Amino acid sequence: MVPYVAVAITAVILSLVPLWIGDSRTLTGVAVSGLLFACYATAFNLIFGSTDQLFLAVGALAGVGAYTSAITSDRLSLPLPLTIILGMIVAMIISGLFSWIAVRRSLGIIFTGIVTLTFSLAFDNLLLGQRSLTGGETGMVIDAGKGAFFRGQIPPYYVFLTLLIGFLLAYVAIHRSRMGWAFRALRDDQLSAELSGVNVAKYRIYAGAIGGAMLGLSGALWAHVEGFISPATFTFVHVDVQVLVMLVFGGIGTLLGPVVGSAFFTYLGEVLASFSQLRLIVEGVLLIVLFLALPQGVVGAIVIGITRLRERRKGLP
Amino acid sequence: MAVLELVELEKHFGGLPAVDGVTFGFNDGEILAIVGPNGAGKSTLLKTIIGIHPATSGTIRFSGTDITKMSTHRIRKAGIAMVLQTPRIFGSLTVRENVVIGAMFGNPKGVSESDAYEEADEMLAVVGLSSKADLAIDKLNLHEQRYVDLARAIAGRPKLLLLDEVMAGLNDTETASSIELIRRLRDRHGVTVIWVEHVMKAVLSLAERIAVLDFGRLLTSGDPQVVMRDPKVVKAYLGGKALPDA
Repeated sequence: MVPYVAVAITAVILSLVPLWIGDSRTLTGVAVSGLLFACYATAFNLIFGSTDQLFLAVGALAGVGAYTSAITSDRLSLPLPLTIILGMIVAMIISGLFSWIAVRRSLGIIFTGIVTLTFSLAFDNLLLGQRSLTGGETGMVIDAGKGAFFRGQIPPYYVFLTLLIGFLLAYVAIHRSRMGWAFRALRDDQLSAELSGVNVAKYRIYAGAIGGAMLGLSGALWAHVEGFISPATFTFVHVDVQVLVMLVFGGIGTLLGPVVGSAFFTYLGEVLASFSQLRLIVEGVLLIVLFLALPQGVVGAIVIGITRLRERRKGLP
Repeated sequence: MAVLELVELEKHFGGLPAVDGVTFGFNDGEILAIVGPNGAGKSTLLKTIIGIHPATSGTIRFSGTDITKMSTHRIRKAGIAMVLQTPRIFGSLTVRENVVIGAMFGNPKGVSESDAYEEADEMLAVVGLSSKADLAIDKLNLHEQRYVDLARAIAGRPKLLLLDEVMAGLNDTETASSIELIRRLRDRHGVTVIWVEHVMKAVLSLAERIAVLDFGRLLTSGDPQVVMRDPKVVKAYLGGKALPDA
């Protein structure tokens, strides 16, 4: 029950944020971006935190979802929900394919990272090259009428809050299922997991596909909420580096690590917005200190602390 | 009746044969020790049987089914479990949860979480670690971690258990309790045990049959007391000096 309660408390706290930031359009935009990154980080946490697959294509997979949805709704005039589902499915297939390749070729963490990073860079070039379809560097505006459902009736903040809570609930459900047991086993020791009867390849592909679907869905929704996408929105530096930093800060493999990490760095980014150079230095120093002091991340350290306290109360060694 | 048959089994590493044309039948319900000098291919043989190392050529048949090309998790589900020399534990889980994984995934029928917990508790009782079920696994010593590994291996009720030098580094008391446990597993649970070991005292007091490997080839096999006096074994494995009577 504890994880579900944690998600419920997170939902309540985050739903009160609009009251705190008031009518400011800038701050609302920052908050929405923070939620989007929390969604990205949760998906990445499922892939990397649960199954040790370093996918350096978080932005690219979100971009696949966004561009698939934008192009099919804009050029083919397909219904909006269908285009979003299409974006999600295409990202899911590509991401699942990454896992399949990594499993078939027995790629370790680093080589999986290299393969997916190559895709990231290639995807960026594809977007720039296919100008007639994607608008190239200038990006593409998505027809306002088709996105009106998100932009007109539901505030973007709540669209992404609902998505994030949905992702967190899915994360909990997965980790409480048979799949979750398999994830814990293969993350700790792949050979031992196989010897225990866990089909490591299958569960890696599941994690890749589900995480990819989450990224594709986030990207597709972002495209329609914003009404505009460009290659810069999904670059490795803009998305993947940020997501990695957020996850490391919050705690890899923890439920709320992605939320805490993205909330902290979104807030820090806003506080240091007027000192662009200083911001990078502060973030860098903070990360080094955190790596040394809290290698499990903030949430990871809290969880370990609570566990030790419980053990002490029970009188366990 | 042979529960496991190896036919002309070979495993090469870069052209170098580690297992070289081994043909052998393992009897149902026996405790068989595989001995031999370092580098004889004993551990490689076990790892080839369980699918960690794919066989270069030859056939492995388990209960009549060809398992040569099966992946490790499928072989486990088919009824063969293995415990490696160094305990391979799931470090972030408790003792009980480590065994739950084996109970949940090692059984071909697919076991629910509650049934897996029940089975895990039963297996922890078999290895005598019930009182430590809730501890973090890293709180246990090497000997206890091996027992957890063993409990995880027998959860899911395999027919055949492969043990790779599980008595290495144990003191006399721990070795004696390990011998007793393996014998109990066979007697009460009907598990066939194939066991690679260097601790000769343990081998002679537990094994019912011995197979000797040298340079990846099967040198001889049979009754432990007879085999260990075979001049070929004495020369290849014991450096020309026969063992005293057990």
